[in-house]
Formats: sequence, C-alpha cells, structure tokens
Amino acid sequence: MSMNWKSMSAFIAVIYGIMAIMPLFVGDVDHLMHILIMCLIWAVVASCWDLIMGFAGIFSFGQVAFFVIGAYASAIFSIDFGINPFFAMLLAGTVAGGFGVLVGLPCLRLKGAYVALVTFAVHMILEPFLKSGMGRAIGTGGSMGILTIPPLELFGISFTADNKIAVFYAALVLAVVCSVIIMLVIRSFWGTAFLALKDSEDFAASLGVSGLRYKLAVFALTSFLTGLVGGFYGHYVGMLSTRMLGIDLFVTLMIMLVLGGIGQYPGVILGAIMTVGINENLSALGSYRPMILGAMVVVLVLLLPDGIIGLLRRFAFWKTSAGEKAVTGGVDNN
Amino acid sequence: MLLEYLDVFISGMTIGSVYALMAVGLTLVYGVSRAFNFAYGSFYSLGGYIAWVLMMLIGLRGGYFMVFALAIPILMVFGYFTEKAIVAPLRKRSDWEVKVMMITLGLALFMDNGYQVLFGPRMKSLPPIMDGAIEAGGIYISNQDLMIFILSITGILAFRWILNNTRIGMAVRAVAQNPDGAQIVGIPKDKIFAATFGISTVMVGAGGVLLAQKYFISPMGGWDILVKSWVITAFGGMGSIRGGLYAAFILGLLEAFVGYWFGLNWVLFALFAVLLTTLAIRPQGLMGKWG
Repeated sequence: MSMNWKSMSAFIAVIYGIMAIMPLFVGDVDHLMHILIMCLIWAVVASCWDLIMGFAGIFSFGQVAFFVIGAYASAIFSIDFGINPFFAMLLAGTVAGGFGVLVGLPCLRLKGAYVALVTFAVHMILEPFLKSGMGRAIGTGGSMGILTIPPLELFGISFTADNKIAVFYAALVLAVVCSVIIMLVIRSFWGTAFLALKDSEDFAASLGVSGLRYKLAVFALTSFLTGLVGGFYGHYVGMLSTRMLGIDLFVTLMIMLVLGGIGQYPGVILGAIMTVGINENLSALGSYRPMILGAMVVVLVLLLPDGIIGLLRRFAFWKTSAGEKAVTGGVDNN
Repeated sequence: MLLEYLDVFISGMTIGSVYALMAVGLTLVYGVSRAFNFAYGSFYSLGGYIAWVLMMLIGLRGGYFMVFALAIPILMVFGYFTEKAIVAPLRKRSDWEVKVMMITLGLALFMDNGYQVLFGPRMKSLPPIMDGAIEAGGIYISNQDLMIFILSITGILAFRWILNNTRIGMAVRAVAQNPDGAQIVGIPKDKIFAATFGISTVMVGAGGVLLAQKYFISPMGGWDILVKSWVITAFGGMGSIRGGLYAAFILGLLEAFVGYWFGLNWVLFALFAVLLTTLAIRPQGLMGKWG
C-alpha cells in the first residue's frame, strides 16, 4: 500500500532538502520565490487532504473551505482583535479544526458520496456567507474581501511579501512540521486503524476499533493544519477574497492529489510542487487555463491510477517492506 | 396580499416540478450504479445552451417541439458516451467511487469554462415556450409556467412508465437491485449503466431547456442546480422517485417563499439547513431506503 517509514522519511527529506537550497539559486527572483512558497503551502493542504481521503477513506471535499476559513479567521483575529498574527494563526487553526469537527459529526453517520456532498455543500455555502451581511458583521469585508492583513512577525523578522526568503523558510518549517505530524499519524496506531476501517468497517469495529473517534480526530487534525496554513497564507499575501472558493482552485488541489497518488503519501507533496509549477505555466493561456485544468483531471484520473508514486514503483520496482504487508494483510479478510 | 402569496406559490410549484425532473435523474444514476455525477450542473447548462444554439444561433423553426426533438437524442448520446469514456473505465478500481466524483468534477470545470470560451460570460436568455396567461377570478397563471409544469410532470411520468413497463426499464431496475445477478441472467450491465447516465443527462438537460426561459443560461449557472438537485435527492430519499417528487415541491416552495420573504441570497442557506436537519434526524430522507 504505502511506503515504509524509511523510504517515506527519505522521500520527504529529499524533497524538502532540495526546496531548502532553492533560494540560493533563485532567491533574488521575486516571482519564483512566490511560486516556491505556494508550493509549500499547497503541499501542506494537499497532504492533509490525502490523509483524510487517501488514508482515512473519508470523502471530504471541504479542504479548500477549511483553508479559507483559517485564512479569514486569522485575518479577522489580527485586524479586529489586535491579536499577534502568530497566535491568530494558531487560533484560526483551532477555529478551522472546530468547524472540521462540526462538519465531521454529521458525516460520521453517512456513507460515501453523502460525505462528499455535505462537505462540498460547506464549500458552496461559504462564499455567499462570507459575502453576506452576516459575514460583513464578523469582518469578512463582504464582496471586497480583506485588504490589509498585518504580516507575521517573529524574532524581529517581518514575514512580508517584500521579504520572500524569510517567508519561504517559515513556510518550509511549517511544511516540515506538518509533514512529520502526518507521517507520524499514518505510521501510528491511527494509520493502522484507518486501513482497517477502510478495508472492512464492520470487521474493524468487531475488533474494537472505533470508527467514530478516529474519524472525528482526523477531521479535527486535518482541518486544524489546513486552517493554520490558510492563516499563514493570508498574512503572507496580505489580502483575501472569496475568489479562492472558485472551482478552479479546488480542481487544482485535486490535480495535486491525483498526480501524487491518492493514499500514496508523501507522493502528494511532489504532486503539489509539480501542479503549482504546471499551473504557473498555464497562466499565459488566460481563459483556457481552467479548461485545461479540468481536462487534466479527467486524463490523469484515467491514466495515473496511483499517481507518480505508482509510476515510479512500476518502473523502479520499489518494494514495500514485509512488515507492512503483514499489517495490511491482517485486516484484508472481511 | 393573499394573491401575492398565490403568485409565490405558483412560482414555487413551477420550479419544484423542474427540480423534481432533475432530482429524479440524479437519484437514478446513483441508485443504479452508485456513481455520483458532479458534472450534473454542467449537463443542465448543456441543455440550455443546446436550446439557445438551436433557436437563437441557427434559428431553428418549429419552436420548443423541435428543440426537444433534437436536444433529447443529443443529450442521450452525450450522456451515454460520457459514461463509457470516463466513468466505466474506473469501475474496476477499488477507490472508483471517489475517482468518479473527481473525474466528473474535472469534467464540470472543463465544460463550464468551455461554455465561457464558446459563448462568452454573458447570460443568455430564451423566448418563453408559450405567451399569454390564464386569468380566472383575479388569479393569474402565465401559460409559460403552466407549460413548464406540465412538461416536467409529463417527463417524470414518462420516465416512470419506461421504468415500469419497458424491457429496458425492467433491466435498469434489475441492475439497480443486483448488478451481478442481472448480468448472470443476460442483462448487459455496462450498457445499462451507460444508458441510465444518458437518461439522467436527458432529464437534467431538459430541465435546463425548461428553466433557461425563466432564468438565464450562464457558464457557471449549473452549480446551484447540482446543489439543489442533490439536497432534494437527500431530502426525498435516495432511490425513491415519489420521495424526490414530494421533496422537489416542498423545496421549490421553500425556495420561492424564502426568496420572497428574505431575498434570494438566503435560499442556499435555507436549503443547507434542510439538508443538515434531514441528515441529522432522518438520514434516509423522507421515503428512501438508506444506502
């Protein structure tokens, strides 16, 4: 199924290691630095999506919504309540995590497509909410959005768009921390429990694995991390609008997941980096860009069943360890 | 005051009837093949655009009769081959359910932006299917609303008749009950999956033709329809045509009255509240079987 602990950490270390030295080469090219920062931000969001969808088997389609909730919450906390952006980000993550639990609760009783649709409904309703009078009352700025978000400041460094190298390394730290957390979850009892639940919910339950608790916990964790990164994004770019809730961003995130391989963590990190790069090259195509993104999903889902990781495995014969086979094999018999 | 409410009521019934047609199409595909089509809203717009091209661009004569005569086969073929091309190949995989949702979401983005490139972002309108109105004792019903209502209900009844009385309808029901069993007795399961996809495309596309004359056709206009069709399906009960019918009228009226009292912006919130309440209290919906 997935990689073992060693190749997983090696894979992540190589990717982030290469990322870490990139500023040496392109540190003075502003828009390339922006692209690198966005690679890291989306890597976290896509990783969270992979954790909840690929591993926990919950068809959550609310990932962008949690990202936007985190971004708006952090901006509002820092602007309207004067909270230091660092703590505002943490609070925003908590708010997004709370929403994750709220959305997760009705989803616990639901199956397959229903979960996708409830979470997607949250996504669909968020834009009218942020633009409505209710949204304006809590400081979302309505259709205008939020325009002057203070930057993150830590240790006397101001992480603004003018200081992209600092932002980049902050994003790298964030990405590494999130990746380690996700990896720990996948390799822990949680991850095994999810595999068991995905293969046979009834059988797992009969062994005492509570689907409810783990599902709720994964909703809370992934939406917390996604919201936190959303907050980081808001403080970095300095302005927010509901444009992020367009279907094209949602589909872009989906391309990251499909390209990296669903449930093939950490392939999704590579998927995110590649997708941000591809998307950047498509921007010259203007109104054709979303069309091509849509077509890309169709083609990739058909042709790349396990993403790039699957391809690599097929060509390089990456073998999963025997120990892992024993774990997954044990819950296979339903 | 009372007459105003009556207007709102009629408008709710009209929308409700079209919603019913579209929700039944959605529940059909999910009920038979467990595939959820995220491009459903884009198929709605497709119906509207086909009608617009036929009537306004080509200047087809013969009114809506000819539009339906041409649009229904086009939609049927389009739906059938879409299923064959992008849904059927996924069925063999273990995670095909979510892959179908993803691929149809990609298709939706492709189609919506295709409309934008082909027809521009400006909204298109269609002429009313019938002019004039019926007036009786101060009650005023436009012939357009009446025709939309009659055609939608006819569509649903025709669908029910096909499902209950024809060989293909019986095959569809057999596949819905037990795909493998159906195949054993010689029913071509894969063709039935594609055919139901085609039929549902016809239903939502016809809904698009009917509603486009009251509202407008726009490239992104389908998303509302997807959400509404789905809320209706969940509220009425997955797989239950009668439940879908009741739900469509209830939610059509809810939409009309919420729009009238609070403004159209609140409709989506109201539907969302209905959805959550339904799923919390009675996840199988009004009349559906759970699953």
